[in-house]
Amino acid sequence: MLSIENLRVVYHDVISVLNGISLGVKDGEVLIIIGANGAGKTTLLRSISGMIEFYDGDIIEGDVKMDGTSIKGLDATDIMKRFDLTYVMEDRPVFWYLTIEENLGAASFSRWDKRVKADMEEVFGYFPVLRSMKGKRAGYASGGEQQMLAIGMALMTKPKILLLDEPSLGLAPLITEELFSIISQLNQTGITIMLVEQNAHAALGIGTRGYVVEMGRIVLDGTAQELLENEDVREFYLGSGKKERKSYKDAKRYKRRKRWL
Amino acid sequence: MIDLIQTLGSGILVGLVYALLGLCIVIIFKASEAFNFAIGEFLILGSFLFYVLFFNETLPWHRALPLGVLIFLFFSYVFFFDIRARFVIAIPSGLVAGFLIFCVLFFGLNLSSLVSSSLLRFIIALPMGLLAAGFVGSMVERITIKPLLGRSPISMTIITLGLGFFLRGCIQLIWGSHAYPFFLDLPDITMEMGDFLFLSDPIWAGILSLLTFGLVIVFLFRSRWGLAIRATSEDQAKAMAFGINSRFILLIVWAISALCIAVAGIMISNFGALQVGMGYVGLRAIPVVLIGGMDSIGGALIGGIIVGVCESLAGTYIEPMGLIGFKDVAPYILLLIVLFIRPYGLFGTVRIERV
Repeated sequence: MLSIENLRVVYHDVISVLNGISLGVKDGEVLIIIGANGAGKTTLLRSISGMIEFYDGDIIEGDVKMDGTSIKGLDATDIMKRFDLTYVMEDRPVFWYLTIEENLGAASFSRWDKRVKADMEEVFGYFPVLRSMKGKRAGYASGGEQQMLAIGMALMTKPKILLLDEPSLGLAPLITEELFSIISQLNQTGITIMLVEQNAHAALGIGTRGYVVEMGRIVLDGTAQELLENEDVREFYLGSGKKERKSYKDAKRYKRRKRWL
Repeated sequence: MIDLIQTLGSGILVGLVYALLGLCIVIIFKASEAFNFAIGEFLILGSFLFYVLFFNETLPWHRALPLGVLIFLFFSYVFFFDIRARFVIAIPSGLVAGFLIFCVLFFGLNLSSLVSSSLLRFIIALPMGLLAAGFVGSMVERITIKPLLGRSPISMTIITLGLGFFLRGCIQLIWGSHAYPFFLDLPDITMEMGDFLFLSDPIWAGILSLLTFGLVIVFLFRSRWGLAIRATSEDQAKAMAFGINSRFILLIVWAISALCIAVAGIMISNFGALQVGMGYVGLRAIPVVLIGGMDSIGGALIGGIIVGVCESLAGTYIEPMGLIGFKDVAPYILLLIVLFIRPYGLFGTVRIERV
């Protein structure tokens, strides 16, 4: 159980991105986090995984706890090794100039043992397309293949909790669908998944619970089903609110409710 | 014709040493995108460390003691923060290391009384000297480069400029600025075939440089740590997210680089004498990497050979025409020409474009 308590994060000492966010991730669930650009979703994942320091951000208040132990301020590699938490960064974090096999090898660096080869086979089992091109440089793979590789690399680290940052970024709807079905397969093998998404419809389809983040705060939470049916979420994220035409002028004048609760 | 072949041969042998210098720049550039301008100072420092071990040089206590304390602090620091040893292990191991270094510097290693054969002495002293150089490299990285991780590469480059002056001052303080005679007394393998004559020292330099170059490449491309280094070189953030400790990897890269520079330094010192002013030779690495491509390891080898050959061709054919000193300028002229034609160097990475 991962819990985030009243987290406040500031970049470069001036830009306040998370303003007291609290949420909990239960073991074995798929938690969806949706929100507009700049809402602080990526920052949230960075501060959980310990990468925030690298981007010159500071956790100035609040705590991140893993089963009651605080992981705030630990190194990213420490968090990964000790708490089996892996963060897949946005925009397909693969090493372009390494081959696909080397990519998987590099990802298993922290736990190199005899079973790496077997784990690689397991990853190829999830993503058969990678097997056929394992000697190829990852930079030449297509966007979908790169994203699959990124998730495969995350699997090589043997995570218990997987933080996925917009896996559907820039992918065709069909590929996204395939990817999400694999993510829910992974969830069934016992991996807890925290998924940040813009593609709210597809994400809520595989999720158990969801949070809506805005301006660095949680503004709405509920089960995935509830969120899918929520009027505001439908209007702002699913693009299917009331049927009548709306004036663009209203949207431009920021008439929409900022606070939902 | 005989002249030409002779010139090319000796050019290639010197070029291999330059290639090694280029490699040191390239691996640091790949890992942190910073250009190491302190290469000349690393070169002298590495040679001096080897000199201390090989020629049984001793220092007065007021110079040896601060160095010992420095080593103690550094070792404890690395053991505690990087290897995550407990306090009770970190401090004593640091103390042992510092004391050993102090003893070696103060009393001298006295290898010559233990081992009579100079080749054997060389074989024993070389790894120790290189290890010492590697430690100094990692120490320098810890103090100057690590705080800048994630910042702009330009600031790291500027730091290395200042570092160069600082190290040069330190070396001058410790060992003075006079020349030390440097004669390795390696087995004579002078090659004399008909009209050709290749001297023993350059041949040894070429062989050892090539060997070191090869070992580094094998390490980078055939080992697990090498894979981690290559991954970190590409993107520190990504590497960190997948559990590779970028900071420690950067330390290792600097250590390897300092170690290779020391090999090149020892070989270059062996051509003449060792003194602080020799540091400018390290700057020969600039045309090497710029001609070969800043981020290409193979390019460093080719670039090194090109620079070496160019230098010796200029020495044989152009200098007798009255242009004394043209030998040192020729590589830079070649560099200008290459940069006009290929701004990224001959083998600079072709950026991957997805289609």
